[in-house]
Amino acid sequence: MWTPRLHRRTALRILLAAIPALALTLGVPLANRVEPRVFGLPFLLAYIVVWIALTPLFMLAIYRTEGHT
Amino acid sequence: MSAHTALAIVATIILGTLAFGILAVKRIRMDPEQFIVGGRSFGWLLMWLLMAGEFYTTFTFLGAAGWAYGRGAPAFYILCYGTVAYVISYFMLPAIWRVARERRALTGPDFFVAQYDSRLLGGLVALVGFVFLIPYVTLQLTGIALLLRIAGYGTLNTTLAVGVAFAAMAAFTFFSGLHGTAWTSIVKDLTVLAGVLIAGIVLPIHYFGSPAGAIGRVLAAHPDWLTLAAPGAPNGSIWFVSTVVLTACGFFMFPQSMAATFAARDEDTLRRNAIFLPLYQLMILLVFFAGLTALIVYPGLKGPDADQSFMLLLQRDFPAWLVGFVAGAGTLAGLVPASAQILGAASIVSKNVLGEFGILRNDAQQTLATRILVVVVAALAFAFWAVAKQTLVGLLLIAYNGMSQFFPGVVLSLVSRRRPAPLAVGCGIVAGLAVLVYFSLAGTSGPAGLNTGAVALIVNAIVLGLVQAAIRASRVPALQR
Repeated sequence: MWTPRLHRRTALRILLAAIPALALTLGVPLANRVEPRVFGLPFLLAYIVVWIALTPLFMLAIYRTEGHT
Repeated sequence: MSAHTALAIVATIILGTLAFGILAVKRIRMDPEQFIVGGRSFGWLLMWLLMAGEFYTTFTFLGAAGWAYGRGAPAFYILCYGTVAYVISYFMLPAIWRVARERRALTGPDFFVAQYDSRLLGGLVALVGFVFLIPYVTLQLTGIALLLRIAGYGTLNTTLAVGVAFAAMAAFTFFSGLHGTAWTSIVKDLTVLAGVLIAGIVLPIHYFGSPAGAIGRVLAAHPDWLTLAAPGAPNGSIWFVSTVVLTACGFFMFPQSMAATFAARDEDTLRRNAIFLPLYQLMILLVFFAGLTALIVYPGLKGPDADQSFMLLLQRDFPAWLVGFVAGAGTLAGLVPASAQILGAASIVSKNVLGEFGILRNDAQQTLATRILVVVVAALAFAFWAVAKQTLVGLLLIAYNGMSQFFPGVVLSLVSRRRPAPLAVGCGIVAGLAVLVYFSLAGTSGPAGLNTGAVALIVNAIVLGLVQAAIRASRVPALQR
């Protein structure tokens, strides 16, 4: 069951989940600025909004690696 | 005249939603499993509605705007934590659901009883859950009272109105259970979405031409408002990150959220929900626009008064029917989750404390106790409302501080091969609570600007580890003997 190939996939899944989770926690202070503004939003708020919009794509990728139909 | 129009619309929205919920569940025969966890039969659409119904509450509607108005960028944590919680939930909820189905768990504490084989731990979790649901119910109550007061244009006895609304919702919950909550959420979500669109799009366009225009004005008047303060400052970036982590851990620990998880038809339903629920968070962005518009057009609200920000604006400058519609949407956003929270708090104590320890001997007694406890919860929430005088976000954070203490016990029971002893988990929870009590009595914030709940969670985990190590150390010689 626990073949190396599955193992690599588990690592990939953890990585895919960790990216948006880290972006919306530890990443936030790094984006803590007003300029440049994006569609009138201060950079910090735009950064958060973009990451929220991207999160479903990462989760969908994990879902795909699990081979659901 | 304005008060009549606005209040009539509020009443129509609430009664219409109640009727819809009751009609939707009329044909379902209610046994406890149907009542509490919807027969574990909910597909992805109903699950989506149920979860959105429980998480997007008065708090989303008013509290987020209030903090954007009163504090600025720290309010952005509200956008982040739900999203991080959904990422965690993708992995955690299917595992919880599996345990719950095998062991026929109906409540959050049941999960602890199943995983740790300890009714005592289940009882502790039930009592702590009960206590920390009170501020959450108070939050809904505060929000509803505020909305009705605004819809009444100064003519309304608020306490009476809130009492009537609460009684109606409690009766509805008893009648329809979780099925009702999910179906009512359809109407609730659509109404709230319309209310949020009005507040978040119409208001900034009316005053500043666009949401971006409103933000430009805020930044011109308060250049630092939409960025975080220095790392160690109150509500600075260390607070921000630790609060997002803490509240993301606590997100699915609430008793009513656990019950919502159990209601899923299968694991895949939960995974699909976790993938798409983050998009719901974007609605909160519009609520921020409303609060920031109010900051410029209706300045000067302090403390908890900031929660009224954009509602006061609507009341002052817009027709009564619009005030009525938005207030009705907001009231619904309080009543639907409040009914689930009250029932959740009452049922964990009647089942996992009074029932498990033989104080209640049969189902009839347990049902009676649940009903009495519903009244007790409502009364305690009223009392807390009268004394606490907190902002909506403040109330929410109190609830999260407590609920998050369950996180180590839940996660360790799912991932570790050798589960910790129930005593270790219990000691961790008690230690976490002791830290919370200390901070609230001392009135200080956490070291280095950390969220106090996060400090409590760290202490909780350390104590859990130490007690477990001590138990293991004392057992090994006994086995060797």
